[in-house]
Amino acid sequence: MKFGYLSVLLAAALCSGTANAEVNISGFASVVGGKVLSGDGVPEFGLGPTFLANYPIVGVYEKDWTFKPDSKYGLQFSADLSEGLTATAQLVGRGADDYDPAFEWAYLSYELNDHWTLQAGKKRLPLYYYSDFFDVSYAYLWIRPAADNYTWQIFNYTGINALFNYQLGEWAVSGNLYTGREDDGKNKLLSDYFFRSPVREIWENIVGGVVSFNRDWLDLRLTYMTYENRRFIDGQPRIWASTGTDTRRGKFMGFSANIDYNNWVLLSELNRLQLDNDNLDTYMVSGGYRIGSWTPFIAYADFDATGEVHNTTSVGVRWDFHSSAAFKLQYDSVNDKGYDGGQVAGDSKALTFGVDLVF
Amino acid sequence: MNKFSGFLLAAVLSMGAQAEIALIVHPSNNAELDADYIQKIYTGKLASFPDGESVVAYNFEESNPLRQQFDEKVLHRQTQQIQALWAKLVFTGKGTPPTVAADPAEVMKAVAADAAAIGYVDASLVDASVKVVAKF
Repeated sequence: MKFGYLSVLLAAALCSGTANAEVNISGFASVVGGKVLSGDGVPEFGLGPTFLANYPIVGVYEKDWTFKPDSKYGLQFSADLSEGLTATAQLVGRGADDYDPAFEWAYLSYELNDHWTLQAGKKRLPLYYYSDFFDVSYAYLWIRPAADNYTWQIFNYTGINALFNYQLGEWAVSGNLYTGREDDGKNKLLSDYFFRSPVREIWENIVGGVVSFNRDWLDLRLTYMTYENRRFIDGQPRIWASTGTDTRRGKFMGFSANIDYNNWVLLSELNRLQLDNDNLDTYMVSGGYRIGSWTPFIAYADFDATGEVHNTTSVGVRWDFHSSAAFKLQYDSVNDKGYDGGQVAGDSKALTFGVDLVF
Repeated sequence: MNKFSGFLLAAVLSMGAQAEIALIVHPSNNAELDADYIQKIYTGKLASFPDGESVVAYNFEESNPLRQQFDEKVLHRQTQQIQALWAKLVFTGKGTPPTVAADPAEVMKAVAADAAAIGYVDASLVDASVKVVAKF
C-alpha cells in the first residue's frame, strides 16, 4: 500500500509568507454487490425481503442485485505541518448515500511526546472494535463487521481525543480518551428506517475511553462510553419514559479479544449499551484459517434487547489476490426474532461479494 | 519422480535465493534493537528508539521480494496482513507507516545521512556508511 506516495507538495500562500506543507493522499474503496436470496421481510411494516447489511447508513439488499449498500470510497488528505502538528481530512462517499462525498473526518493532531497525541475535530466514535475503521473493509476479514453489532445511529463525533501508547514489558498498551458531541440534523437510520419522519438525533456530553493490550498474537480491547441523548421527531422533542424529560443517558461498554496465531484467526467482541433501564447486548464470534492467500471464515453475531432480538450466521472467504486488494464472498443468514414491533427487517439469506482495496 | 525432484530442486533454489537481511541504522546510533523491538516499529506499536528519540523507518513497496521476506522472517506475518494492519492505523489517525524507498541504495543513503533512520537491505550491500544492528 503506497500510503501517501501520491505526495504532492502544496505551496500555500498564507497570510504574510509562504507555508510549505507536504500533503499525503491515501485512500480506500470497496465495490460490493449482492442480493437477498430469500427472506420474509416484515409484513406488518409493509417490508419485503430485506437484508439490512449496514444499519447506520441504511445499507439494504433486496431481491434485485445491487452494488450500493456496501460500496464506498474514501480519500484521506494528511498535511504534515511540522513540529508534531498534522491536519487530516477524510472524504467518504457511500453507495447507500448515492456516493455523495462528505468529510467524515477532519481533525488536527498534535504530538505532545512519544506517548501522547492530542487530536481535535471530527472523528468516528471508537465504540466497537471496528467502529473507527468500519469503512476500511480491506483492514478486516469480512465484507462488513457484523450488522447485528454495529447498529448505532450515531457514528461520528466532534470533540477532543487524546491518544496514548505505552510499553508494559512485552505488552503494547495503547488507547484513547475522548469527549465531544454529535448533532445529526436528519439522522438517516432513525428518519428513513425506524420513524419514517425527520429525526434530529443529539448525543452530547460524550465521554469515553478505549484501552488495548497487544502482545504478539493476542489483542485485547476494552471500551467505555457514556452520553446524553436528545431526539426531535418532526421538530418535537421526544420525552423519554425512563426519565420523564427530554434527556436520557446511555452507557456503553465492551470487551474484545482477538487472536492471530499461526494461520488461525479468532475474533470476538461482547458489548452492552445500558439505555432506558434496558440492556442492549451484542456479541460476535468469528474464526478463520489462512491457507496461502485464501482465508475462509465463519461468523456469528447477536443482538438482544427487549423486543429487538436478531442474529446473523455468516460464512465466506477472503482472497488476497493482490498486495493491496482483496476479493471477498460472503453468505449471511439473518434470524429476526423481534416481537411487539421490535422486528427490524425479518429473516433473510443473502449473498454478497466484492473487492476491497487501499492505496 | 522427475517432477518431484524438480520440485525439490526448485524448493532448494528458492531457499538459496533468500537474501540475508541486515537491519541498519546510522553509525552513531548505539541503540540495541532485538527482533521484538524491530517488529514493534514496523507494525506501528513503537515510534521511538529505546532512548526516546523518534524513529524514521524505511520500507520497500509491498511487491518487493525483500519486503515480503522481511514481513515473513522478521514480522512473522504475510505482507497482506501488514498492509491490513497499517490500513487500520493510517485511516484511524493512529500511525504513520514507514517511508517507502525506491531501492536499497536509497535506504543506504538515507540511513547513512540520518541519525534517526532505520532500514533494511540485502546484507551483501552493507558498507561502512551504516551500522548493522541485526541480521535475519
